[in-house]
Amino acid sequence: MAGAVGGLISLPAWANGWTTETVVSSRQILSGSQTELLAEMVETIIPVTSTPGAKALNVHQFVQKMVADCYPKSAQENLSKGLDSLNDLAQKSFAKPFTGGDTTQRTALLTQLSQSTDSAQKDFYSLVKNLTIRGYMSSEYVMTNLTHYEFIPGRYHGCVPVPAKTVSQGK
Amino acid sequence: MSYLNIDAQAQNTYDAIVIGSGISGGWAAKELTGKGLRTLVLERGRDVRHVTDYPTTNKQPWEFEHRNQLRQEVREANPIISKCYAFYEGTEQFFVKDAEHPYVQDKPFDWIRGYQVGGKSLMWARQTQRWSDFDFEGPARDGFAVDWPIRYADIAPWYSYVERFAGITGNKDGLATLPDGEFLPPHEWNCVEKHFQQKVAAKYKDRHVIMGRAAHLTQPQPIHFQQGRAQCQHRTICERGCPFGGYFSSNSSTIPWAAKTGKMTLRPNSVVHSIIYDEKKGRATGVRVIDANTKQMQEFYARIIFLNAAALNSNLVLLNSTSNRFPNGLGNDSGILGKYAAFHNYRAGISGEYDGNLDSTTDGRRPNSPYIPRFRNVLKQETNFLRGYASGFSAGRISRSDQSGVGADLKENLLNPKLGGWYVGSHMMGETIPKETNYLALDPSLKDPFGIPQLKISIAYDDNDDKMVKDYQEQLTEMFTEAGFKNIRVRDSHAAPGLDIHEMGGVRMGKDPKTSMLNKWNQLHAVKNVFVTDGACMTSTSTQNPSLTYMALTARAADYAVKAMKKGLV
Repeated sequence: MAGAVGGLISLPAWANGWTTETVVSSRQILSGSQTELLAEMVETIIPVTSTPGAKALNVHQFVQKMVADCYPKSAQENLSKGLDSLNDLAQKSFAKPFTGGDTTQRTALLTQLSQSTDSAQKDFYSLVKNLTIRGYMSSEYVMTNLTHYEFIPGRYHGCVPVPAKTVSQGK
Repeated sequence: MSYLNIDAQAQNTYDAIVIGSGISGGWAAKELTGKGLRTLVLERGRDVRHVTDYPTTNKQPWEFEHRNQLRQEVREANPIISKCYAFYEGTEQFFVKDAEHPYVQDKPFDWIRGYQVGGKSLMWARQTQRWSDFDFEGPARDGFAVDWPIRYADIAPWYSYVERFAGITGNKDGLATLPDGEFLPPHEWNCVEKHFQQKVAAKYKDRHVIMGRAAHLTQPQPIHFQQGRAQCQHRTICERGCPFGGYFSSNSSTIPWAAKTGKMTLRPNSVVHSIIYDEKKGRATGVRVIDANTKQMQEFYARIIFLNAAALNSNLVLLNSTSNRFPNGLGNDSGILGKYAAFHNYRAGISGEYDGNLDSTTDGRRPNSPYIPRFRNVLKQETNFLRGYASGFSAGRISRSDQSGVGADLKENLLNPKLGGWYVGSHMMGETIPKETNYLALDPSLKDPFGIPQLKISIAYDDNDDKMVKDYQEQLTEMFTEAGFKNIRVRDSHAAPGLDIHEMGGVRMGKDPKTSMLNKWNQLHAVKNVFVTDGACMTSTSTQNPSLTYMALTARAADYAVKAMKKGLV
């Protein structure tokens, strides 16, 4: 439904054929269904609340791009295999594909993965989780609206009172 | 036809040629053109113009496809440069890729280079301390290298001269080991750094923690506005190039200043093959250049030549400049060209935590940190190793979020990090001893992509360095303990030399032509119209960062060169 609504927004002529996929990811290492599954996985890790979740911020595309470009081949294979086995685990756990589970079921399954004694499963989980956190926290939406990144503070004050709420800053 | 040749020669003739456009070459260009000399500046890399050629300088964190992480293929293709802390997605364009300029590691040496207009002055760490007489007199006192032909008094006015133009922030601390300069206001301390300073001062009368001195415009003066530079904005992404000119680089300062005189011809993509020596005239007459794009060799001529190719490449150029008179390299009558190369020891570090001052934190970023000048073996030899080390120091507040679990709770935790305690850390900057066994030579058979012999680098740490690492770890642990820091951890990276990016020597200054290559004016003893004023000229390395000294030596040598030229001495 979200896609249909998005399609109603009129785009400038140069944006014809301009899709999230072509812009964000240069080299696809996952199939379409694996990508959808990854999107649901990152959304389970950081879901929509009163603010967008990881899926809406395209964090799944970021995860795929990082693994494709910045990680060794073994990590790429592990991501692909890990996603394939995710549905098998879902079937065993709640008799549905991962995407068919509710929040509680998906969360329980990822928690189970995080404690897995199978090192490949555990590596797959921590790779996706770490990159999800990184992609989410360094996304334009989060840095601009939630953590208020400042590009040009023009200052350094060495001793200020601790603020009530800490804002994380990257560079 | 001979007319044509003469025309070509006249067209390629200048008053002066400067080889290299980095931190010292930029100063040579500025000083020589400023004194009216038509000057050709040769740079082996491409042109990089201030602001317009800094492609990543205004990118936001989320605009980097890989959030500044290097791509796997870049890392695999560049095992050497990938070790450099400043090499990342946003700065790849400013570093020499491993395959571009191969060299022979006779012993492991990570050679970090920037081939472009501005050289490494674009990506340097900007620390600028003066040397003192403890450094210039060191070799004569301790007997570890030949005596420097100059003393602090010779160079002090030139330090002032370059500091005023470059813009150096710092505090006047009144220390004999680290003379004060012409400073812009210092950067601010944080409370834990201040606490450490006070604890150290209370316990040791000869140890000091001061605010670092760095090439940043904390309060620009008219001379800086005239250069088109503005106040430092504390972005701390200097190595991408600064559009404000907030820190000093050749690109923002000396090169455009030289260009404004109308006397400078800047020729990028010009790989210097060798310096031409004319036996009849008994002088150097020009430079052989290979055009990086066409690979064609061309000659340029001048009355004086400043060699500022960066320490190791200046050695390479001289070693490759052979003639009947100098079969072993230009000016190399003594046979010591390439020998006594040295560097800085950055191997050791220490970290800790502090649980005081928890009601305060820092705000903003600071492109600088406190500094502990050398305190070992200053007034007397007190350890089992020669010389000493300076130390960087800084403190900051840790911010952490609970990253366990998944779902809405995780999201909430990520967006609400909790302030932890303070972390404190330091790294050493040790002096290494120039030794004959640390040398540079040309490989007899291997050539680089331009047909120039590859440089063979044979440089290693020694027992003196190991002892110094141990002493640094012990002394800093004692100082950290005194300050009440907890969870103190020391480390020794065991990294190969080179990553300090402070390679020096090989064409050292000295009083005696038998034991040195250059005299007190940075002139080759044997070829008076060739001046070497980059890191190659350093007789010893001190513990301070070397760049400011290169700038001062260059301005001083250029002043002498022009005066000597007018008197007909060169």
